[in-house]
Amino acid sequence: MLNPVNPLNPSHFINFAPVEKERNNDQIFEEEFLPQIDALYNFAFHLTYDEDDANDLVQETYLKAYRFIDKYNEGTNAKAWLFKILKNAFINQYRKKSKQPTKVDYEEIVSYHDGEDSKYAGYLDMREEIFQGMMGDEVTNAINALPVDFKTVILLCDIEGFTYEEIAKITDIPIGTVRSRLHRARNMLKEKLRTYAAKFGYKDKRK
Amino acid sequence: MANKTANDSFLERVIMYLDGELTKQEERELLLEIKETPEYLEKFKIEKSFREFIRSKITRRSVSQNLIQNIKDQIRTRPS
Repeated sequence: MLNPVNPLNPSHFINFAPVEKERNNDQIFEEEFLPQIDALYNFAFHLTYDEDDANDLVQETYLKAYRFIDKYNEGTNAKAWLFKILKNAFINQYRKKSKQPTKVDYEEIVSYHDGEDSKYAGYLDMREEIFQGMMGDEVTNAINALPVDFKTVILLCDIEGFTYEEIAKITDIPIGTVRSRLHRARNMLKEKLRTYAAKFGYKDKRK
Repeated sequence: MANKTANDSFLERVIMYLDGELTKQEERELLLEIKETPEYLEKFKIEKSFREFIRSKITRRSVSQNLIQNIKDQIRTRPS
């Protein structure tokens, strides 16, 4: 014999259709979102260079992702979607902390005035023997010392392997700006690593 | 000047190749060019080894189990 249904008993609602959707959301969360958590934490840590801030950012990202899970198309690019949420959360925190008005992006102005032909004219190479003796700490420090917009594209492209198109979507900038920003970021990184190398007595003899 | 333009174009394509942004046809053309020009091969090797170096040396961190549990707990207890 079936038990009579008491509509005021909250446990009664657990068996209704909306909960079925909730279960699906939980599955998406477990199967598509959570596997990205190490990559997100790594990105958050390199953006903030602080374990507590990185934890807060990752937590905020996952809670937001769950809240807006209906906006996510199941089975698509969960990693890029989560990175975009995290990047936006970071910008909001960063703006709050720095208490500065939004600045004009000088890099985009430089890009605007640079012709496409001169884009790779300032390319820097770096001989293998200069950097091979370095430890991971120097690389992490050099990346950390980059301005945030440049650090972001290096982390997304060189560390996480996102495409230019994905980076453009995550950072809300045009693909052309992604390319020029990456170019400048890599040159800056090479310069910083060269400076570290020089401190340890390595020199590029071609100069 | 012409050499400089050819060099810029080559470097641009090397960078796009290493970023996975060239088509299969463009990749084949670039690799053929590299194969036929020792100077280009040297430049290609330098950029490729720099990328590999950065990827291998960056400190990778893993999230704590506590954080994962906190997130799950907060989702379970959130008001509907």
